Amino acid sequence: MPEAADTSRAGEAVEAGAEAGPGTGTSTGTGTTGTGSGRGSGDGHAAPPAAAVASASPAPSTPPTPRTGVAALSPRYQVGAVVALAVVAVAVCAHIGLVFLHVAPSNTLTKQHGSAVDEWVFPEFEQNWKLFAPNPLQQNVSVQVRAEVSTADGAIRTTGWYDLSAEDGRAIDGNPLPSHTQQNELRRAWDFFVSSHDSENRPVGLRGSLSGTYLRRIALLRLDRNEAAGPGGVVERVQYRSRTTNVEPPPWSGEKVSDRPTYRELPWWSVTPERDTKERDTKEGGAA
Amino acid sequence: MNGIARSVSRGIARVTGAALGPYQTAVIRIGFAATWLLFLLRELPHRDELYGPGGPWGHDLAEQMIADNGAFTVLLWSDGRAWFELVYALAVLSSVLLLLGWRTRTASVLFMVGVLSLQNRSVFMGDGGDNVLHLMSIYLVLTRCAQVWSLDARRARRADAARARGERVVDRVGPVLWCGSGFLLLTVTLAGGLDSDWFVPALLWAVWAALGLWWAVGRSAEGSQPRILLDVVANIVHNGALVVIMAEACLIYATAGWYKIQGSRWQDGTAVYYPLHLDYFSPWPALSDALAASGTMVMLITYGTVAVQVAFPFTLFNRRVKNVLLAVMMTEHAVIAVTLGLPFFSLAMIAADAVFLPTPFLRRLGDLAARARARLLGRLPAGAAGGRPGDGGTGAALPGPRTKPAAAPGPGSGRGAGEDSTAEPGAAADSGGTPPGTSGGDSGTDSQGTHVGFRA
Repeated sequence: MPEAADTSRAGEAVEAGAEAGPGTGTSTGTGTTGTGSGRGSGDGHAAPPAAAVASASPAPSTPPTPRTGVAALSPRYQVGAVVALAVVAVAVCAHIGLVFLHVAPSNTLTKQHGSAVDEWVFPEFEQNWKLFAPNPLQQNVSVQVRAEVSTADGAIRTTGWYDLSAEDGRAIDGNPLPSHTQQNELRRAWDFFVSSHDSENRPVGLRGSLSGTYLRRIALLRLDRNEAAGPGGVVERVQYRSRTTNVEPPPWSGEKVSDRPTYRELPWWSVTPERDTKERDTKEGGAA
Repeated sequence: MNGIARSVSRGIARVTGAALGPYQTAVIRIGFAATWLLFLLRELPHRDELYGPGGPWGHDLAEQMIADNGAFTVLLWSDGRAWFELVYALAVLSSVLLLLGWRTRTASVLFMVGVLSLQNRSVFMGDGGDNVLHLMSIYLVLTRCAQVWSLDARRARRADAARARGERVVDRVGPVLWCGSGFLLLTVTLAGGLDSDWFVPALLWAVWAALGLWWAVGRSAEGSQPRILLDVVANIVHNGALVVIMAEACLIYATAGWYKIQGSRWQDGTAVYYPLHLDYFSPWPALSDALAASGTMVMLITYGTVAVQVAFPFTLFNRRVKNVLLAVMMTEHAVIAVTLGLPFFSLAMIAADAVFLPTPFLRRLGDLAARARARLLGRLPAGAAGGRPGDGGTGAALPGPRTKPAAAPGPGSGRGAGEDSTAEPGAAADSGGTPPGTSGGDSGTDSQGTHVGFRA
């Protein structure tokens, strides 16, 4: 960028043919901005009543005093400007450097100073730009849920599987503006769950327990929309499973992958606490 | 040695003398504000499920998460419905204000608070587009992004005109806003509402203090030393933030590109085929099939995408190549918006790209917008359609200058700026026009715009 700027400057200088004079040092530099803004302000900005006079009088007779920039400051104030410039320059370089280390692969520097990078970047400058990289996802993950419902007559009934991802897919089909509730909510909740649980579906840390609760609530929300409990029925327990299918390779690639889906089944979860919180919330909401 | 010293001092004069890239910062301001506004309006029916007390990512879960990561959100101050609705409404309002450039510094802070509050409240609802907006909403606070195409710029022009007529211009809204926001900030801080990570609260207080200082110093005479110093500092901060914004855009592309190079699917030229066949990213299956029908086509797009993303940061050193790549990337994002069903991600990326658009192009865009607007309102004053190109440059999309020629000293200033800007684009087309606002023509507008962004 700086070089691009320089190129344009040089171009202008050649065209103007005036700035190349030796010994003009700083005054050349400020002259570029100074005269430009000076003229503009002489006409319209500063010295209001004298506007007409200023534009009428020949510019050279009254050398334009630069109104902006360091050159317009007395030495005492120039110190302030230089300090500000130094602080901002350091801050900009540090910020860009830290964000760079944050998005770069693990390396010598991040191994040594990873905590300093995290300290600055989290929480507000966190970012991830591995967009469809290193490889795009090549599998469709269908998240499905079923429920155990206690019906009005006291019996326990198990529903069939509801393919929530397929519901999302249908909502997205032909939709020019898909909602985050359709495109991100379940998909990212499932990713969150998978990344915060071990292969035995045991939660890892705080995030593990949060993601479990999150999925339970999404299940309740979606089962509710599907009226899975039926009239008078109450959802007692839910069970998730995911069905992962390879995207069929392009016909022209000649590749073959298995088209058999693989399943991951989670244990049955009681949703009584979630249901109770929800009922309490809605009651409070109604009261408020 | 002499040459180095001269270019250093010229560089210092440049970064202290003006807030560079007035058009570029204005266009990203409008772009990000519009993206977030459209997103909020689109999600209006789903707002509770996404960010509200009734959503699956409930208040309790968000509280535990925030206690862990310390992110900033005002939504956890209360789990009541009324508070949520108020914050959502304020987020919408702040995007409108930022889009229009009304009290832009304050609006940009409000905008940031809205973006961070909603997104941090429900981290698992977002995608790459939200991530871009999140970062840019913070960076925008530090820029003087309302020098052109804003209500603030119009207000400054009118105030100048009034002063030229010898009238006294008194700003009442600014101090009221400042006192109100100061009272709010103090209340919230004392109530412990800003106990998150230190950064955002510090930024809020710093901007508030700076606005107060700006107002106090602004009461002294024009051209007084403290006033110029503050102006210089504001320019420096703006230019620093602008560098960060451009570096951020480069990091996005560089990361996306360099990681792709390591992927086998990007190497064998089939990568683009796969996202088009994911259920979550194929709103138009027939279109996806058509796009993926030819292996050669898919391979070319796959390789082209990687090449463009990796190359982009380096092309900034050559204006012409940069502009070509910019056009390619914006087109690709427009295509992604439709084919992958990611309209808001694409809009955010296009807005980020726009920071690299050349000044002459943006000015023409502004002229077009101004003309379209005038035609739409059915009031095209004589001579506005094309008689005064320079005015289009300074006034651009906003109506101020269209009515101003009636005022006596107005034409003088208008034409003065016009001469600057008609002279420059020619030079810029040959030599400059590089982002952000390297064409010298900007200085002509700066004289009117410099003070605008920071007024309390």
